[in-house]
Amino acid sequence: MSAQRKTSPWSMQFSTLTIVLIPVAIGINYVGKLIAAALKLPLWLDSIGTVLAAMLAGPWVGAISGAANNVIFGLTADPISFWYLITSIAIGFVVGYLAFTGWVSSFGRAVALGFIVGIVATVVSTPINVILWEGQTGNVWGDALYAYLVGNGWPIWLASFLDELVVDIPDKLATVIVSYLILRALPERLASLFAGGRDQVERL
Amino acid sequence: MAVVEVDNLRYRYPRQTTLALDGISFTAEAGEFIGIVGPNLSGKSTLCHALIGLVPHFYKGAIGGRVVVAGLDVHATPVAEMSRRVGLVFQNPFTQITGAKLTVYEEVAFGLEYTGVPREEMVPRIEEALRLLGLWELRDRSPFALSGGQMQRLAIASVLAMKPQVLVLDEPTSQLDPSGTREVFEAVAALCRQGITVIMAEHKIELLAEHADRLLVLHQGRLVADGTPRDVLSRAVRGELENEPAPAPPVTEAAAALGWTMPEGGFPVTLDEAVAVGRAVMAGDSGADSR
Amino acid sequence: MRVSLYVPADTWLHRLDPMTKLLMAAAGVALTFVLARIESGAVLWAIFFTVLGTGRVLRQAGSVFAGVGIIAATFLIVQGLVHPTNATPLIILGPVVFYKEGLLIGLRLALRLYNILSATLVLVLATNPADLTEALVRRGAPARLGYVIMSVLQIIPTMVAQSAAIADAQRSRGMETEGSLWVRVKAFLPLMGPLVTSSLIATEERALALEVRGFGSSARPTFLKPEVRPPHAGLVRIMCVLTLAAGVAGRLLLGW
Ligand SMILES: Nc1ncnc2c1ncn2[C@@H]1O[C@H](COP(=O)(O)OP(=O)(O)O)[C@@H](O)[C@H]1O
Ligand SMILES: [Mg+2]
Repeated sequence: MSAQRKTSPWSMQFSTLTIVLIPVAIGINYVGKLIAAALKLPLWLDSIGTVLAAMLAGPWVGAISGAANNVIFGLTADPISFWYLITSIAIGFVVGYLAFTGWVSSFGRAVALGFIVGIVATVVSTPINVILWEGQTGNVWGDALYAYLVGNGWPIWLASFLDELVVDIPDKLATVIVSYLILRALPERLASLFAGGRDQVERL
Repeated sequence: MAVVEVDNLRYRYPRQTTLALDGISFTAEAGEFIGIVGPNLSGKSTLCHALIGLVPHFYKGAIGGRVVVAGLDVHATPVAEMSRRVGLVFQNPFTQITGAKLTVYEEVAFGLEYTGVPREEMVPRIEEALRLLGLWELRDRSPFALSGGQMQRLAIASVLAMKPQVLVLDEPTSQLDPSGTREVFEAVAALCRQGITVIMAEHKIELLAEHADRLLVLHQGRLVADGTPRDVLSRAVRGELENEPAPAPPVTEAAAALGWTMPEGGFPVTLDEAVAVGRAVMAGDSGADSR
Repeated sequence: MRVSLYVPADTWLHRLDPMTKLLMAAAGVALTFVLARIESGAVLWAIFFTVLGTGRVLRQAGSVFAGVGIIAATFLIVQGLVHPTNATPLIILGPVVFYKEGLLIGLRLALRLYNILSATLVLVLATNPADLTEALVRRGAPARLGYVIMSVLQIIPTMVAQSAAIADAQRSRGMETEGSLWVRVKAFLPLMGPLVTSSLIATEERALALEVRGFGSSARPTFLKPEVRPPHAGLVRIMCVLTLAAGVAGRLLLGW
């Protein structure tokens, strides 16, 4: 046999295993949000599943989990979430790509990844907030900051960006750290089943 | 002609160094009931997966030898294509429910819809499968509202509706109570009589001894015995199988201890046989005693 | 526990096929953005009210509306206080001044929120998700997407039930779930971890089970249930298109 083929994280092969992962990821997002709300945490924690799917199965599966999450909730339970589809997709892509290039290899790197995800989520959500709601987010803390800034003559774009940023950075930091800890606790066999999905069968 | 032909099958899981299956060869005819026995981790599940192509297509890894089922080369055929000739039923009744259907009836339709079976053909096939497994009355229930035995029969009905020639079951009763176990064995025996080849990995050796035509014994990925239950279990009680991978049922052990043999050789493997043999032996003994 | 907001009933709205209701929702969302004036937004909302009312789902819609009430209120308050175009004080409460311009913008945003919600609720409240999914797959959406949607709707109640069981178990072992922020943060992982791990591990078996049911098949799927489209669907579709056209024309010609 020749040396192991180097596979790209962007390969678009969706095995049955990765398809089955998507509803589970969405379920995890939902339960995360529910538990965070039950514990009255000042965070959403509603993208742990998307982040885990991306870590396990790569950027495409991460992005699709994110997209499916918002489409399904948009169509069944929470119509507004539909509009933040692009944010979820971006989270899936960023985590999936960076996870494959070694950003979940240690706790320190996972923390850095959390910051990156927070910034990406903010950058993507801000235009949506501006288009839909003049830049507000509907989150009380963020909107208080927004009101203060706009009241002091800051441009709407910048105020909206900071409004989203103060909410997203702690949230995504916590999300990525929780996901990282869970990923470490998974059995080796499962992680390699996901990682091996793109391998070729050898002949003996 | 044999429906299942396995020739020198070897398989290694990814990132492993030892073979999970090592040089397995056997064949099975239409309507035959074959039991697979062996200790935990001996390769029973891996062999079951290899008959429908989950090994190697799902798990990847490295494969050698040949597996031909219903005329198709498993190593060169996608699992979706194989699934129309071979059905596989797993251990856990709960995870086999697709989770995408709301009723028992729709659950059975799942595989037919995905493989593009026309609607007119679907309806009679579903009804037939549900009636055969005794689930017709429960067709409008939610699959998750069934008992373990009923769920396992639903799993069988679901693969049966695909009209397979071979039904493979991997420890289908290990999570069921005695009545659920009986339900499954009776259903499977009925299918066998209709000409379906049944291959079942199972720990309940008494039940296999009663229903199976042949037993395959696995040990560390190798096939260490292949024969009728009487032949295999008699060798097991005589300690002729290396490492004693297959425990014989208590009747066989007892008969061996008493030296009760069947007229055609070997020890009885079911209670009925033991009773028959025992009666003959006693009759012979008492005849001798009364002089 | 149910995820979907769908309310089974037998009304003209429920009997419509899913694609027609999808068209209604799409036309409604489009109109929300086409119409600029507050009055036109209000008219649109009145139309949605009629549809939701005659479809007998107004009560459920009402609880969704109440749920986002805080967001709508924030729009009014924040824009009324600080929007850059604010010039005319309207309400003065001590040092707090609400301006007319900002309040009107806040009102427009709130109306937009409610109109988008209503448009989607027309579809969501009166359509069985299974029927909607199937209708989409029939029209060429990937069958695997259909699986994902249906599976989500079943998996979530199961996972929520499991998380409740885990919470009970952890509490009986003395875990604190109330108190300072740090106590509550520390409770998150033990509540979440076991559930996530076990549901990820179960993906292997579920994937195997789907594979042996022909899930990976590349054949075009067929459907157990025949598709039915009621006679009034055509009329509703025409009305949707006409309303949308009228809205666009009104906006362009009369500034609606
Ligand atoms: N997914 C897997 N990855 C690596 N090794 C595996 C995997 N599944 C099974 N094995 C190994 O293959 C061997 C046979 O296992 P299995 O077929 O499950 O045995 P049995 O069903 O008889 O208990 C064992 O050594 C087991 O550890
Ligand atoms: Mg096994």
